[in-house]
Amino acid sequence: MPEAKNTIDNALLEMRWRCLSLAADLDRLDRAQAAKSDPGLLKLHEALRVLLDARANRAERVQMIFSDQTPPPPYGKAGKR
Amino acid sequence: MNLIDPHIHCVSRTTDDYQFMARCGVVAVSEPAFWAGFDRSSASSFADYFHHLTDVEPARAARFGIDHYSWLCINAKEAEDVALARQVIRLIPPLLDHPRVLGIGEIGLNKNTPNEIAIFEEQVDLAARHDQLILIHTPHLADKHKGTAIICDILKNDRRIVPQRVLIDHCEEHTIRMARDGGFWCGLTIYPVTKVTPQRGVDMLEQFGPEKICVNSASDWGESGPHMLIDTLLEYRRRGHGESDVTNVFYNNPCRFFGQCPKWKLEIRNSNDGAPAEFCRGPQSNSKFE
Repeated sequence: MPEAKNTIDNALLEMRWRCLSLAADLDRLDRAQAAKSDPGLLKLHEALRVLLDARANRAERVQMIFSDQTPPPPYGKAGKR
Repeated sequence: MNLIDPHIHCVSRTTDDYQFMARCGVVAVSEPAFWAGFDRSSASSFADYFHHLTDVEPARAARFGIDHYSWLCINAKEAEDVALARQVIRLIPPLLDHPRVLGIGEIGLNKNTPNEIAIFEEQVDLAARHDQLILIHTPHLADKHKGTAIICDILKNDRRIVPQRVLIDHCEEHTIRMARDGGFWCGLTIYPVTKVTPQRGVDMLEQFGPEKICVNSASDWGESGPHMLIDTLLEYRRRGHGESDVTNVFYNNPCRFFGQCPKWKLEIRNSNDGAPAEFCRGPQSNSKFE
């Protein structure tokens, strides 16, 4: 695993532009008067809150916010072999 | 440095891509049957496609010194048409002895519908009856987590399926653990818009360890490219991983999985000097990762 200082040095500039890029995306949506209640945007806001909390596995938790978590359809023909 | 792209759709790529891969050291690729960006109108279209995969594309790749292998199936998206899917499945058994065919793939799910699941189960059965390796396509975006859970459950409950002969592809942060817990191989597809970036791919290699993980570009007709494999290699190297680790991830791991099929001819390499270290014999290999 890389050391913390190297990781920060290598990542910060790229994280900065990604953060700016997302900020500009949100500004653009505002200018377009995108509906604040859009389900996709609500999930995005939920995901952004994950980025700022102090718990681990942020990527996995963000993935789950954007995942369909309804029950699967019935299946299992092969499962009975 | 020799590399393998274990999942790429060469039928959708240009000759420039072959030249690029050859210049970067890619010596072999494997190409699963997939949704070509449109629904085909009949089973005969698939017969032509299978000819393209097994004969045309290997000859095209060979011009650049690249060894090309393929996988056959009806993809999950077109499996929604069950009648067509069953006609296509009937085309496959006579082709399984073709020297370029490694197994059944990429089978799986797209929108997790009952029709897709039924055809997935039928193709798992086909693979089991013919003792074939299996390459799994997991769904995109919001459907991935549920679909991967269904797929892993079906495979684990079929006693004929040996997990290390199955690769669950397109794993991401929320699905890789499911695949690994089931004892399956995992594929990381470096396809930033809908799947994984080079940085996140290397994060997963570091967090979960490189054992039984194959990194691929899945380059196709979308916003993708064979350079994604190279970018991931460079990111892995940039974080301090040595040439031995690079060779293990980007060359030896595909050899270990594909080598379970006797048609695969490339040898696992000694990581330090690039020389052949042993013949690749899959589960019988004495690699430290197995």
